[in-house]
Amino acid sequence: MSSDSSLFSNRWLPLILVAPFMLLVVLFFYVPIFQAFYWSFFLERPFGGGSEFIGFDNFSRVLADPEFWEAGWRTLVFMVIASSLAVVVPLILAVAADRKIRLSLPARNVLVWPKGVAGASIGVIFAFIFNPFVGILAPLNGMFPGIWAPGLDGTDAFITLIAAHVWGGIPFNFVILLAGLRSIPYTMYQAAAMDGAGPWRRIFDVQLPLIMPQLFLTLVLEFTESVTSAFALIDTITHGGPGGATTLLVYKIYTDGFNGYDLSGASTQTAILMVFVVILTAAQFVFLGRRVNYER
Amino acid sequence: MNAIDTAIRAAAASITLAGITKSYDADTVVIPPMDVELKAGEFTVVLGPSGCGKSTLLQMIAGLERVSGGRILIGGREVQDLEPKHRGCAMVFQNYALYPHMTVGENMTYSLKVAGMPKAERVERVAAVAKMLGLSGYLHRKPGQLSGGQRQRVAIGRAIVREPGVLLFDEPLSNLDAQLRHDMRVELAELHRRIGATSVFVTHDQVEAMTLADRILILNKGRIEQFDTPKAIYHSPASVFVAKFIGAPPMNILPVTGDGSVLRLSDGQVVAEVSLSGSFQLGIRPEDIAMEGRVGDPAVKASLRFREDLGSHSILAADLADSVVRVATPFGADPADALHLTLIFPKSRLHLFDAATGRAIPGAFRAH
Amino acid sequence: MIENARSINIAASLILIVGIVYIIGPLYLTLSTASQSYEFMLRNGLAWYPGDQLFINIGRIFTETRIPVQMLNSLTVALSIAFFTCILSFLTAYALVYFRIRWAGVVFALILATIMLPLDIRVITTYQVASNVFSPLNAVLDATGLNDLIAAIFGARIEFEWSVLNTHFGLVAPLVAHGTGTFLFRQFFRTLPADLFKAARMDGAGPIRFMVDVLLPLSRTSFAALFVLTFLSGWTQYLWPLVAASTPDMTTAVVGLARLAPDQDGAVPDFPMIMAGAVLVSLIPLAMIAFLQRYLVQGLVLSEK
Repeated sequence: MSSDSSLFSNRWLPLILVAPFMLLVVLFFYVPIFQAFYWSFFLERPFGGGSEFIGFDNFSRVLADPEFWEAGWRTLVFMVIASSLAVVVPLILAVAADRKIRLSLPARNVLVWPKGVAGASIGVIFAFIFNPFVGILAPLNGMFPGIWAPGLDGTDAFITLIAAHVWGGIPFNFVILLAGLRSIPYTMYQAAAMDGAGPWRRIFDVQLPLIMPQLFLTLVLEFTESVTSAFALIDTITHGGPGGATTLLVYKIYTDGFNGYDLSGASTQTAILMVFVVILTAAQFVFLGRRVNYER
Repeated sequence: MNAIDTAIRAAAASITLAGITKSYDADTVVIPPMDVELKAGEFTVVLGPSGCGKSTLLQMIAGLERVSGGRILIGGREVQDLEPKHRGCAMVFQNYALYPHMTVGENMTYSLKVAGMPKAERVERVAAVAKMLGLSGYLHRKPGQLSGGQRQRVAIGRAIVREPGVLLFDEPLSNLDAQLRHDMRVELAELHRRIGATSVFVTHDQVEAMTLADRILILNKGRIEQFDTPKAIYHSPASVFVAKFIGAPPMNILPVTGDGSVLRLSDGQVVAEVSLSGSFQLGIRPEDIAMEGRVGDPAVKASLRFREDLGSHSILAADLADSVVRVATPFGADPADALHLTLIFPKSRLHLFDAATGRAIPGAFRAH
Repeated sequence: MIENARSINIAASLILIVGIVYIIGPLYLTLSTASQSYEFMLRNGLAWYPGDQLFINIGRIFTETRIPVQMLNSLTVALSIAFFTCILSFLTAYALVYFRIRWAGVVFALILATIMLPLDIRVITTYQVASNVFSPLNAVLDATGLNDLIAAIFGARIEFEWSVLNTHFGLVAPLVAHGTGTFLFRQFFRTLPADLFKAARMDGAGPIRFMVDVLLPLSRTSFAALFVLTFLSGWTQYLWPLVAASTPDMTTAVVGLARLAPDQDGAVPDFPMIMAGAVLVSLIPLAMIAFLQRYLVQGLVLSEK
């Protein structure tokens, strides 16, 4: 709207309209965030056993713990690999589905199905499919015993997690990227064709540059998503194992807090993880976001 | 006058703008203090280039924009602090702004429904308006099923169904194609005659202004350049801005200097004999420039640059003293020498403007 | 266009086939295994073709597990999340877009931030808040010294306590506190022509009338899109119901399904029955996608603009 002065000017009504939602947001979003930071400076005893201010002791304890660093490193590795795959695979599919071919319509339908399957459900399913004894790779194990052992080999477990993560991430990223591709005006292709660019060439010279905004957005969201959605997969497929090889930070925070009753430690790690995610998102906007805004 | 005409007839109200101003902050003043009086029943066209503040002016009358200062009186009542619904104005929007989910009938009666008018009365009223606008068969359709011209009529219908004292139009014809625009213009003029509401019509199209207006208000950067009848605006423009804004092609404007006895162009040629001295801008309309010699007026030499034949007449563009002047000539009336023209500026048709302010100097060429 | 696009079209077709197999493959294997017996699976491993035990396995889910009750929970929770997200987001976005309020920008930024830090990250402290939603109030009373005052006058401090853990409300509310819906409605409102609002004002409509008569009917598809989106997200939640519901009768079907799978490798689990559970649990959301795909796609696209 060009100017504000024609808007409604009631004083109390907007407050009443916004209040219920903001109450929920404050109570279940801002208070927990505040509390995570608050607790990271206290020694919090479970079951209401009181608390004691200990300054940065929690931070030095957490940062001195090699398991924290390992979990952080694994989170980073998972984030980079899983989220790039979860954008690149749907991107390739979207470019293919954007062509006028017979399979395009059924593909557009099928590729959103995973949206209806919970991360935990697909975890249960993938745990079965990649089960070394009865799963899809069991015959391989028959020929080369021990080649596929997600229960023993950390890398195999990691691969299973990533395959499941990409599976579940396809719908959102596919739909967004395809919508981006479809919003490219047809005349743009005609102009490129007149300039001598063939269909393969146009993928890199026209389509990819023009869906940069969508690519950027999916990447940003996918980073956060990979940090969090991994929990359901880990808890159903690997339980953090074998030997902690798939214990990412979200999972470590959960086990520390709910199984180990280390509220201060879990809060401190939560605070660190939140700062990490915020910095990462901000960094993406600063370094990537600036370059991708095209006026069309 | 038949029954329908009497059914929809508004009690026209006068509009007085007393020193109204609009500014968003100290640096962006859209409209400096302005005083205007629009008579009851008058059709005023507010004309100006985009960004001149004409839409802002209209929205301030409607109550969609707050005034930063000054008073607005409609029918003698102070309204600048009232909500739109209490001002007795109705508005026709540029993009029609019809409610896409309501039928044509619902669109037109929505304001009556909000105002709490009984249904029977609403139906009667909308039937009369629909008949008047040729929409009777479309009352149950949705706006999406109508053509551009029909949507335009619905937008007008929803405004007049309230029998408002003031009708506001925000460039309502700008989305129509040329033929439809012409037809709607004629219809609007007729409608105004029948309904009689005070109308304020904002546009940047001078043809709409010339054909529809009782008086034209020409705005430039929020200031009134001239407020007068179409005839006066065309024949005695109050400033260079008005002179150039009205007319197609617009008035030729040439810098001249007076030495007390004659006006000279920048190349020294004499264009008029008049006892003025100093720098001026000389204006003359293309159709007022003569090609054949007439006794008494000095002739100037110009060279033809190109010509456009428009069927009814031709426009010649000629180089004259570092400027290009356009001359309208009857079609086929070719000059004897195709390249070298002799142009005569009849003294009675000349306009003189102050070089610095651009304001007209009235009576400069009256016989002394 | 006249051009030879054969090679690229063949490549595209192959890619799509691989993609479709990647998506459908696991689902097919789930269904085929769910229709085999445990003994069949022990003998042959993964079932490549369907058998005749599907209804028997599903029947066992009904008799041997709590999944049916948990599916009712899932339905209640997902419907509530979708319903309240739609209503509250609509009202909030309406207030932020159509009223002249100085704090609109700040509030919108506060709401948008919720998208950046999902519930899974802040689960520890959200759990603590849910265990007593008055804890922030108590903290304020303590911090301001008001409680000391009360203690001095009445002889006792006040401590409010209300745990929403293990309630439907507790499963729903933290998931409603998410900004996507507000964002979606705000974007939608901003695509509406500004003149529509002005026309309504000229017609005399006040805030409530404008909302009910104009905005609400126009937002129908946005509502549908957001509803489908949040229903699916509510149904597929895992971590929050896992911690917020402490009894099997209160938790959701997805959590119940994960509990069917044994924690340790050892004896081969009863995969046919687990897979039958997976089929059952995914049935409602998948049906929703099949029938309301248009709205889902619209919702996904709208939520990013």
